[in-house]
Amino acid sequence: MLPGPVHPVPGPVAGYVGADVPVELLTAAGYTPVRLAGSPSEDASPGRAYLGGGLDPVACSILTRLLAGTYGPLDVLVVSRDCEASLRLFYVLRELHRVTDVALPPVHLVDVLHLPHRTTTRYVLAKVREFRSWLGGVDDAALADAVVAHDRLRARVREIGALRAQRRLTGTEMLDVVRTACTRPVAEVLPLLDTLLTELAERPARPGHPIHLTGSSHDDPAVYAALEDAGLLVVGEDHDRGDLWALGDVGLPDPGRLELALAERYQSAGPAAPRASIRDRAAHTAAAVRDRGAEGLLSYVRRFDDGPPWDFPAQRAAAGVPAVLVDRQDYGGVDAARVVRELHLAVAA
Amino acid sequence: MTRLPSATAATAHQRRWFAELQAQVAAGAPLALVNADAPQEIFRAMGIPYVVNQWWASIVAAKRRTQDHLARLRERGYPDYTEQYSSTALGSAFDTDPGTAPWGGLPQPSIVLAETTGDASRKIFDVWGEQPGVEFYPLESAAAATVPERWWELMPHRWEEAVGTDRLDLMTGELEGLIRFLEQRTGRRFSEQRFAEVMALVNEQEERNRRTRDLIAAARPCPVAVTDSIPAVMVPQWHRGTGWGRDAARNLHDEVAERIAAGSAVCPGERARLMWVGRGLWFDLDFYQRFQDRYGAVFVWSMYLAIAADGYVRHGDDPLRALAARFAAFSDQLYTPPWSAEWYVKEARSHGVDGVVHLVSDDARGSWATTRALRAAGIPVLELHADNVDARRSDPAYLDGTVGGWLEAEVLPARADA
Ligand code: SF4
Repeated sequence: MLPGPVHPVPGPVAGYVGADVPVELLTAAGYTPVRLAGSPSEDASPGRAYLGGGLDPVACSILTRLLAGTYGPLDVLVVSRDCEASLRLFYVLRELHRVTDVALPPVHLVDVLHLPHRTTTRYVLAKVREFRSWLGGVDDAALADAVVAHDRLRARVREIGALRAQRRLTGTEMLDVVRTACTRPVAEVLPLLDTLLTELAERPARPGHPIHLTGSSHDDPAVYAALEDAGLLVVGEDHDRGDLWALGDVGLPDPGRLELALAERYQSAGPAAPRASIRDRAAHTAAAVRDRGAEGLLSYVRRFDDGPPWDFPAQRAAAGVPAVLVDRQDYGGVDAARVVRELHLAVAA
Repeated sequence: MTRLPSATAATAHQRRWFAELQAQVAAGAPLALVNADAPQEIFRAMGIPYVVNQWWASIVAAKRRTQDHLARLRERGYPDYTEQYSSTALGSAFDTDPGTAPWGGLPQPSIVLAETTGDASRKIFDVWGEQPGVEFYPLESAAAATVPERWWELMPHRWEEAVGTDRLDLMTGELEGLIRFLEQRTGRRFSEQRFAEVMALVNEQEERNRRTRDLIAAARPCPVAVTDSIPAVMVPQWHRGTGWGRDAARNLHDEVAERIAAGSAVCPGERARLMWVGRGLWFDLDFYQRFQDRYGAVFVWSMYLAIAADGYVRHGDDPLRALAARFAAFSDQLYTPPWSAEWYVKEARSHGVDGVVHLVSDDARGSWATTRALRAAGIPVLELHADNVDARRSDPAYLDGTVGGWLEAEVLPARADA
């Protein structure tokens, strides 16, 4: 599959949190956008001390790693509003800047909202412009180039994702594809993905019982790996580090409307659990289950990830396949044997 | 000490009002269920009756019925462990025997209104919207990248500066949509003039609350119990925009002033002044009293009067934009640092408190910043880990032991030294 990152990212680096950051602007401003991930195997208590005990542990882990300098030097830090935990992380970072001398890069919030209304579009457009001026000196030509490059990247990832219907790659591998696409410079990733597409065309189907995974998004492969080791195959999901990440293009409109095109793309990016309505999520789940030939639906939910369990009853009703919810899971942990057993029971029922 | 007449009057009014509301809805009036931090003034102006989601949750909690409400959610596959304060009323929608419900039961609303705050609260309202005859009108909950520290100085007149033009444009646009939605859904008319009157009444009511808050801040000893000031402020708050609400605020002010003039004290041997940061402990309202009796420690502050005093007043020529300004940053005032943290410090100082009990629940927002700011200002803080409606994690022995131990170890000795 993909070669791991062997060398550090060249040039200025923008660390970012969440799926809603318009990375095109970062690329156009000369940064390599690097999406920050937490790690379930590291102690996150320093971050938790600031964020409190009731928030998605991913945010606590990211904050811990920021405080410890784990990500290496970051020139700027951009946080989106993709979920409550990201927003609270931003507030803590802003407060750390204000009242402590903890060394942190300059931090900015991009408040992309998602209701399907024109009022929201106008607001998101204002936030895109605010972000652009915060970055300073992003010219239109560079932005147009960045839009083309990121659209191309998303298109490749979509093509790779579509091959999951033929089971050419595992969910764990797909997670790695997206991780690479959002942590390395676009120009470096595109040729890798082209090569991968050629390889996958020849590859025999992966074994395993095909399921659609919903619930919490995964920034670490541990849960995927455990599920797939236990005999499941994640052929689709609705995660912002998976299929949803690649949904929707900016396109290349008149040069005067680039910011609007960015606003509309990020406002209506795929229906992520924390922000989309129950109805949209259920419809999306049903379509994804069908398109990928999933034979089971698993909602895996981390403790303190509050949105997904509310989605589940409607998802189960819409999916038309046996469905199981495992909620309040520890970050990175899953009892895969139990999941398989419950899926079997759901099949029997 | 005898109960404050305002508190008794508020409770009585609330019962009468609710009975009338049940009758109106039974006779075919529309009913809105509205989140506490969502704009209610438009409903008031249009004569559409509404119930505040969290108010109903507090009634259910006071009747110790929260658990069976949550069980109804669980039976339908929904979680009973997130945002219970917001989801309790949804349990009422699934009540198969409303006759035994608190206050004769919550009538089924036809419209529900909430901001899409948090990851779960929007979903709770999605479920409402799936119920037959119910429509959900969601409002965005926008966040600002930069905010002013001393918002309470800006809000009454310079709210455009405090909240930010983008957030105000967004909410004003959404409120215009809401008015159109309500006109179509209910056939009722929105009168600009009537709305301006409602907005003026709200400002009057909250200006009175501000004077009351200032009186209490300066008074030694403390003249009113928080368990009285909370209903005396909050019930009228749910009726803001009415003459009754404004007058109730005036009565509260006058009663407090009289008590101060008479030198009356909640706790005659007042030994320590405490501030309560967080939502009310609805399931254990004796809590506050117990510390007066045992330690002479008086809770002189809760956010309910203070946020009424500082958080609501919005003057301006454009009432709809002023209403947007009241709500576009409402929860920031209480929960988002630096806004919230600096405000708590200001209030702690002006009330001369000896210590702060800070209720930190699982979904604590901005708690670290609040505690840090208060401690940096030299004020002792106890972080009390409990939930305000879910009594399973907050039994009295635990609460009393924790708060009592802190008073003995930290607050009372410091006061004795001073
Ligand atoms: S406690 Fe907070 S959420 Fe509840 S009604 Fe008061 S302000 Fe609203």
